[in-house]
Formats: sequence, C-alpha cells, structure tokens
Amino acid sequence: MTRTRSLALLVAAVAAAAALFWTLLHQISSVWLDVALRPEVRQALEHSMEDQKTLRQLDPARREAYRRQFDHTRTLLNRIEVLRMNRENMLHRFELALVAMFAVAALLTAVTLWMRYRRAQERERAEYLDRVTSLQETARRHAHEIKGPLTAARLELERLADLARHGADDEELARAQESVGEELARLTRFTKEFSSFGGLGQPILRRESLGQIVEEFCSTFANAWPPVALHDGGGDAVVCVDRDMLRQVLVNLCSNSARAGAGSVVFGIVKSGARVLLDVRDDGEGIAPSLRARVFDPYVTTRKVGEGMGLGLSISRKLMLDHGGDLVLLETSEKGTVFRLAFGEGVCN
Amino acid sequence: MRRAGLAIALLAVTLCVRAQQRPAFTRSAGVVAAALPSEVLQQASVKKQLGSGLTTTFLVAARQRDRGTITGARLEVRYDLWDEVWLVKRVEFDGKTERQRFASAEALEKWWRTPVRLFASDADRVLLQVELSVLPFSAAEEDDARAWITKAGGVGTAGGGGLVDALIGTTISAKPITSYRWNVDLALR
Repeated sequence: MTRTRSLALLVAAVAAAAALFWTLLHQISSVWLDVALRPEVRQALEHSMEDQKTLRQLDPARREAYRRQFDHTRTLLNRIEVLRMNRENMLHRFELALVAMFAVAALLTAVTLWMRYRRAQERERAEYLDRVTSLQETARRHAHEIKGPLTAARLELERLADLARHGADDEELARAQESVGEELARLTRFTKEFSSFGGLGQPILRRESLGQIVEEFCSTFANAWPPVALHDGGGDAVVCVDRDMLRQVLVNLCSNSARAGAGSVVFGIVKSGARVLLDVRDDGEGIAPSLRARVFDPYVTTRKVGEGMGLGLSISRKLMLDHGGDLVLLETSEKGTVFRLAFGEGVCN
Repeated sequence: MRRAGLAIALLAVTLCVRAQQRPAFTRSAGVVAAALPSEVLQQASVKKQLGSGLTTTFLVAARQRDRGTITGARLEVRYDLWDEVWLVKRVEFDGKTERQRFASAEALEKWWRTPVRLFASDADRVLLQVELSVLPFSAAEEDDARAWITKAGGVGTAGGGGLVDALIGTTISAKPITSYRWNVDLALR
C-alpha cells in the first residue's frame, strides 16, 4: 500500500512538472529571440540607413562619418537577419537542451525518491526487528522472574505435604510455610515493580531548595549502598519539583553507580541561564559503548536475568520529562559516568 | 483523354525548362569550366536574398563520378546598400580569386554567365555531377553573428557559458535557400 502510494505520488509529481514545463517552454525560450526579431526593430534600422544616405547628400563634408554609422547599422541588421533565418533551428535546439535537462532532473528526483523509499523500508524493518527482539527479551525476563518463585513455591508445598504426611513437628512445618511465603513475596515485589512503571503519576510541583533536597538525600542514604559515599558538591537553586519523585530518580542513579563499582557519587548543582541542572557524577566503570544509545530504553540492563528488569533509568527519565525537564547521559568512560538532571521552568502548584 | 494530353504537355514544358537550366560546359587549356544558368539569379528566393545586404554565396561542387574526385568553386554576391553597387567575388578550383563591382543588375548577370573553372581534365569523357547550393550569408557573416549573439547573451566569458556557446555554435549555420543538381555525361573531344 505504501509502495503503491509512493509510486502514484511520484508519477503525479513528474506529470505535473512536465505539464508545467511544456506550458512555459515555448514562451520562455522564444522571448529573447522575439525581442530581437520584432519587425519594428528591423524597420527602425532600415530607416536609419536611409537617413544616413540622405544625410551624405545634404552634408557631403561629413560623408565618411555617415558611412561609418551606415556600416555599423548594416552590420547590426545583417546579424538580426542571420538570427531570423536561424530562429526555428535555435529554438528547437534550446528546447531540446531544456527537455534533456528536465529529463535528467526528473530522473535524479525519481532515483532520490526511490532510494529514500528503500531506506525508509529498511529502517522500518530494522525498527520492527528491534521491537520484536526487545519484546522477546522482555518475555524471557518475565518468564524467568515468575518461573523462579513459582517453582520454588511448588517444591516447598510438596515438601510441606510430605512433612504433614510423616507427622513432622510444628517448627519444621512453620519453616516450610515461611519459605513458601518468601517466594510469594518475591512475586509480589516483581508485580509491584511493574505497577510502579505502569502507574507513574503526574508530579505535584512545589518550589523547593534543590540544595536542601540533595543535602537531605546524602544524609538519609549515606549508608544505603556501601561502600559508595555520597557527597554534596554544594550550590543551591530553587526549582519546581516533586520531592518524592526526585528522590526516586536519585535512588535509581545511585543504585546503578553502586552496581558499576563506584566508590563515590558527587552531586553538583549548576545554573545555565534560567535553567537549573543537577549533575550526578560517579567513579564507576562506566557504561558499555553498545548500551549508551539505548540506556534509557526499558528492559536495557547489564544484569543477569532474574536480577532486575532494567526499568530504573527509563522510569527516571520519564519522571524528569514529566517535570518539564530531562535526564541525559552527559559523559561516560572507564573513569566514571555523569548523568545530568535538567529542571523545567514550569509553574509551581 | 484531354487531361492525359494536358499532363504530357506540362511534363514536356517542365523538362524543357529544366533542360534550359543546365550549365554549359567548356574546356580550355585542359580546364573544364561551367557557365551557370541565368535562371538561378532570377529565382524569386535568390533574387530576394541578393537584395538583402547579406553576402549570398553560391557553392559549386563538381564530382567526377568515374574518378571519385570532388572539386569546387565559390561565388559571392553582395549588394552594397551605401554605394548601391554589386560587389562580387569568385574563387575557382585552383584558388584563383577575382573581385569586381558592378553598377547594374545587367552587368551582374553578364558576369554570372562567365564560365566558372571547375577542374582540370584531359579525358575525352567525364561522368560529372554538379551541385549548386545557394547560401543566404557568408562564413564571415555567420561567425560575426555567432559572436554577437554569444556576447549579447552574456556568455563566452569565464565560467558557465560553455553549454550555451556550444548550443549557439552548433545552431547558427547557413542552410541553403535553394540548391540544384545536374548529372552530366560530358564529351570533351
């Protein structure tokens, strides 16, 4: 359908251009020739020559001057006459040249459009394959996340039944029951993670001191990701922000830093014109080049299946976009990574 | 029956006229010359062109069919509108050039009938094809007009004018306003 439509559009464009070209061709190409070949131009030149001949009789002393003027006019008249005799031939040749140029232009346009169409097709195909591959990976992770606790719970239930049949004591039965409960709790956490991704609410923006939020965060989470040390780099600015959501973003970033083997995370507040930026810099091992372009896509993670869904950065960026700002990967190398939080200039509630 | 007779009569008249238009060939000192028919100058398109002020050029090409050699001559006629005289030039097969001016059309016609030297030959018999092409202007006038148009079009200077130059260069040319061809079995003994 797309191909047919593109071809139809191409044919219509070429037909319209050709019609316009043919309409204008004769008018445009013959204008300059017709100006030179107007009968009154020729008549004026002939009269001028007659005048020169008359003048030589009236003023014989200046005969040579009149002769020069006469010769000049005659030469001009001769040229126009030669032009007139070749008019049709010249027009035909010029039109032929214009037609050739038009054909080349049309051909180039057609080739360009065709190549663009083919490229779009290839891109669409690649994007589709990417999407399918991503969904396959997601399905694999989901299956693993569910299958693990389910299998464990089933085995524990079988063991519980065996224990009950063989008259096990209450303590042993309680341990088996607790084990089943732990597996069910894992399933609950898994579904909760998805619930939080799917049910992200809109931020309630309030005017807050960013410096104060960072300071509190460093204090509250000082021992959350040992051995990572959190450092407040100083600076302050008032931003419109949902404090809880910002905290969630910072938690996600620090969790990633800890997994990247960072020893410290430094928060730095920067003002760029009217915008406020918060740089989060760690000294971890950095992000692999193959992942950098897709780092904010859902389900992109370096963790093994069963150890996390790769939703953290995706959720974090969504939260910052909802703030009217953004979250970008500023730089990353084997010496560390810097994420930049940009805050919007939105109106606070 | 009467119509068929009329057609035959017309054909006879046409053949007669065509026969009258043939050049008259002579040989003198081993050189073959042709006196061109006066009717050529009287033809309407030629007559009109002769008075235009441009140089009407008559190209005569003589091909000896039995030998395959081609020789020729050129006659140029221009009416000078200032002095109101006919300026003529004749260039024969061996490069011999003659220039003259005539005050009247009668003198021009007399000059026209003077045989034009076409080729040297000692053969008793020559199978000859003679072509006469009447061009409306000379090569010099053609070059001058081409240069003028190129200059008027603002091309021919550095950059970008090559295509237009080529177009003009291959477009302006003197197309014959009329031409004649005679096949002659020439006995020269």
